[in-house]
Amino acid sequence: MSGSDHALTMGHGAALEASPYGIQSKKLVMWLFIIADAATFGAILFGYGYLRVGSADWTRPFHFTPTILNGMVMTLVLLTSSLSMLAAVAAAKAGQRAASARWILVTAGLGVVFAVLHLREWFGLIAEHWSPSNNPLGGSPLVGASFFSITGLHLLHVIGGVVALSVVALKYARGHLEPGHVETTGLYWHFVDLVWMFVFPLVYLMNVG
Amino acid sequence: MANETPAAEPGMRFYAAIWLVLIAIVGVEVALTFAHLPTTSLLAALLSLAVIEAGLGVMYFMHLKYERRALFWSLIPTLVFVLVMLNHLWPDAHRLLRMQH
Repeated sequence: MSGSDHALTMGHGAALEASPYGIQSKKLVMWLFIIADAATFGAILFGYGYLRVGSADWTRPFHFTPTILNGMVMTLVLLTSSLSMLAAVAAAKAGQRAASARWILVTAGLGVVFAVLHLREWFGLIAEHWSPSNNPLGGSPLVGASFFSITGLHLLHVIGGVVALSVVALKYARGHLEPGHVETTGLYWHFVDLVWMFVFPLVYLMNVG
Repeated sequence: MANETPAAEPGMRFYAAIWLVLIAIVGVEVALTFAHLPTTSLLAALLSLAVIEAGLGVMYFMHLKYERRALFWSLIPTLVFVLVMLNHLWPDAHRLLRMQH
């Protein structure tokens, strides 16, 4: 008698009981990761608020050009990548494997554009002598520390997402994965997009001088 | 609730409409930023708009609206509880500022 047969005949609950959520376990695990990661970003954003309120010499370094304009373009790119990810999931559910893989690669490409725009902005700030420990305007160095920490954590998520999307696109196109994998990867990508919906107003717009 | 049938998901045209709404909200956020509102009012407005954006994204882009309600009630209140608990940092931040003067 195999392990699964034994579970069925002996009545192990996990083998017989339907999921209360009616979704694949991989999707549930991704949701649990997303909630935990949302709490992580929540903590770092609360920490940023704490530092900001607790620093009397906080400086507001950003202006419409180049920072806010660049941030608006980055936001548009990320929102559009969520739309292309939705197209990928819809194609996967419709059994259009090649179309789905193409849309996933479009999403990953937009993620690369976002990362390049972000790094260009970082290098511009670094050229102005901003760093996690230095404020060239003479105010609290915590401005740079919080900016690079929060945007850096988000950028790591974007880069990780681009890698994951590329792997899923290639494996899905070759028939090694099923539509549930595309949907689960899409959940992660939408989450990265949603985090930016908080980072942009709180870290960029609230620091316009 | 366990046997509840998830609702049918909408098509790409609907998602494109949500995408346009999200872009419009970002435009409103930028306009409010340059309207020279008091800092507290601006923060309240930007946070409210960000929560609306997150709600649209989670419910429609991430399809939570089309899953069984048990998933929503298991996940979202938990996250809100954690974030509310984190909110207890704020009085200490104000105390720190007063100590500097």
